[in-house]
Amino acid sequence: MDETTPPPPPPESEQLPPPPTHTGSPTDFLKGVVGKRVIVRLTSGVDYRGVLSCLDGYMNIALEQTEEHVNGVVTNRYGDAFIRGNNVLYISAAEAL
Amino acid sequence: MASQILPLELIDRCIGSRIWVIMKSDREFTGTLLGFDDFVNMVLEDVTEYETTPQGKKKTKLAQTLLNGNNICMLIPGSAGPDT
Amino acid sequence: MDPSSGIQEPFDLIRLSLSERVFVKLRGDRELTGILHAYDGHMNLILSDVEETIMIVDVEGAPDGRGTVNVAKRKMEMLFVRGDGVILVSPPSRT
Repeated sequence: MDETTPPPPPPESEQLPPPPTHTGSPTDFLKGVVGKRVIVRLTSGVDYRGVLSCLDGYMNIALEQTEEHVNGVVTNRYGDAFIRGNNVLYISAAEAL
Repeated sequence: MASQILPLELIDRCIGSRIWVIMKSDREFTGTLLGFDDFVNMVLEDVTEYETTPQGKKKTKLAQTLLNGNNICMLIPGSAGPDT
Repeated sequence: MDPSSGIQEPFDLIRLSLSERVFVKLRGDRELTGILHAYDGHMNLILSDVEETIMIVDVEGAPDGRGTVNVAKRKMEMLFVRGDGVILVSPPSRT
């Protein structure tokens, strides 16, 4: 190859481009889903459906207009809800992103 | 030493393909892998969730989903899942 | 992120609920309502004037139904809640 670069050869890691074109990372997903309707399922199987206000790196979640679903039945409604991230199994988009 | 491949490199090569995710509990997912991070939190598309409950097996279809890496046990690249 | 309520991160929801009565759902089918006095990043909580509700599901009891649910309630003046037991905190409606 043409070695036009100065003496110190770039370490191999620098040659790998940063995670390139695909925009499917968890961070990208979360950016896209804030403000949208989501289904949050906990490991216990309980679902929370609502509008995602925000979340943090622990997957702690703030939801608005929240409905609690147990076995497909609405068991509670909350104006706002804070869900502790360790209980979260998944966050799924409930409307088009 | 020469051709050491990291486990997560294998998963990185699955981006864009179907993947079968088996959780620590009686729960499995299949979907198209869009991305993941260092915790193996995964973003999946066209997802099917498989639950084994006392009442029998239950399937749930989901759109784009962020799956918490905390409860993942195994990943099977290229597989369409338990129905195959 | 959410200009209407001024919430940038989930903990803002808790911060805005200080000195208010909150609903807390805990592992082990427990629920609390009480006045929120303090919290930290683990979601350790200090609540006062607390009412605890414990759901006791008796699967044996019912013939072929879903089992009967007994509810036990008790009151506590002041309580520390360890954060790892917390599932959900809901502040009073601010609408």
